[in-house]
Amino acid sequence: MIHVHDLTYRYPGQSRPALLDVNLDVPAGQFCAVVGANAAGKSTLCYALTGFVPHFYRGKLQGTISVAGRDLLQTPPGELAGEIGLVFQNPFNQITGARFTVREEVAFGLENLGLPREEILSRIDEALALTGLADVADRSPYALSGGQQQRLAIASMVVMRPRVLVLDEPTSQLDPVGTREVFAALSALAAAGDTTVVLAEHKLEWLAAFAQRVVALSGGQIVADGPPREVLTSPEIKGCGVGQTRYTQAARVAQRDGLVPADKPLPITLQQAIDFFT
Amino acid sequence: MSETFSIYLARESGLHRLHPLTKLALAGFSMVAGLALPGLWLTYAAFAVVMLPVAAWGKILGAYARAVWRLLLPFAVSLLLVQGLFWTGGTPLIRVGPLSLKLEGVIFAVRSSGRILLVTGGFLLLALSTRPDALMIALAQRGMPRSIAYIVLTTLQIVPRFQAKADAILDAQRSRGLETEGNILRRVRALLPLIVPLVLGSILDIEERAIALEARGFSHPGPKTSLLVLADSASQVAARWGLLAGMVVLIVARLVAGCWA
Repeated sequence: MIHVHDLTYRYPGQSRPALLDVNLDVPAGQFCAVVGANAAGKSTLCYALTGFVPHFYRGKLQGTISVAGRDLLQTPPGELAGEIGLVFQNPFNQITGARFTVREEVAFGLENLGLPREEILSRIDEALALTGLADVADRSPYALSGGQQQRLAIASMVVMRPRVLVLDEPTSQLDPVGTREVFAALSALAAAGDTTVVLAEHKLEWLAAFAQRVVALSGGQIVADGPPREVLTSPEIKGCGVGQTRYTQAARVAQRDGLVPADKPLPITLQQAIDFFT
Repeated sequence: MSETFSIYLARESGLHRLHPLTKLALAGFSMVAGLALPGLWLTYAAFAVVMLPVAAWGKILGAYARAVWRLLLPFAVSLLLVQGLFWTGGTPLIRVGPLSLKLEGVIFAVRSSGRILLVTGGFLLLALSTRPDALMIALAQRGMPRSIAYIVLTTLQIVPRFQAKADAILDAQRSRGLETEGNILRRVRALLPLIVPLVLGSILDIEERAIALEARGFSHPGPKTSLLVLADSASQVAARWGLLAGMVVLIVARLVAGCWA
């Protein structure tokens, strides 16, 4: 579904590339997480997978990007709407402001795609149910909490039924409650399984719960790529400022002190930690 | 704080259910009538006989009367004072010391106030009884650029956000010791640390907003649809043409009368 080959990209006016020799293949339906420190290239990768790099930001790009069968270097982002979705950090800036209720806000993208009204209505109900927003459907988008607004942004993308959905740190501006709400919506999306999801995120414990794959970026390069448990406990990830889950940290201490055999695989979720320590 | 910078009042009424363009046509007709009707009292009569009953039908009579009153009063008072007191020549009505109220000035003020009453009355009726998005969608369906509809609608919603953001910045600057009270000079000086973050922050937001809009297919080629259904009818189409014809008649009649006079 996603094929990135030898991608190197530099923002205009920058001497250092934001992405360097990135190769990434994501099969259809996979839930792939991208981790990395600030300025590691997560956002740039998200923009590259949605066509905003290079079409919106310009700059110098080498390599190829193909998503959902489209050559992104030849296709402007406006044409990709509905096929590739993007959710980003600031919930407030993703609200169009041109619609007065949550329901109409979700409908905005479908109106732009020119879908018939009956289809729009049934799709809205589905998207609001998935994101848990059915109760606030008739309220103003601006009357919602940050977590609700971010779920609204997700609903507004999911409703367009994109084949690929890219999320750039959707919980970075949210409190713990809002974060939990957004991840509940994402796990519902992951469980449905028909959307290929790329999620750039800092919060490792949440990722560990349902990502099928983790890609670690450092200095614009991919430094680790594989199953979450393998990547999040790998030695490569220690140097790139991503951190570790608290389960991994506790397990490392236990292994260092000889409480647990050194060959036992390190845990990244609560369940794995329980198995590790018992 | 209200969510939207708009005076629309949601009611279940026949006026609310009218197609936005029908109400826009009525507002246009009212404006032309306000400018074209002759005499001193015809505009007031038209307002009382047409606009007030329509507002009552729309269940917004109280709010409508208040809005018209608030808008008209400052104009009427200043017209009366300026024209009444400073009309050159003319017949004095009342004398107070060196000042005198002139009949011709009062007549001019009454006539002008009547014009303002009808010109603004129609548009206030439209604004109070029509959802802004319904009006914009109706206009966009008739060929107005969608970007204009977008700009108008976001402005309505962003103005209150902008105020909230300005308040937050002001609080932040105050907590760092910025003095915002006192004489004019001090207040003007306090404006700069408020405006710079507000404007720069908003410019940075534009980039994200543009991306968000693109991702929602704003520039997607092809025909658009709308969730909001704008009910229209043959009689409303006829009424709109009638109002348009009425405007032409009023303008022509006014021009002809002007030529004779």
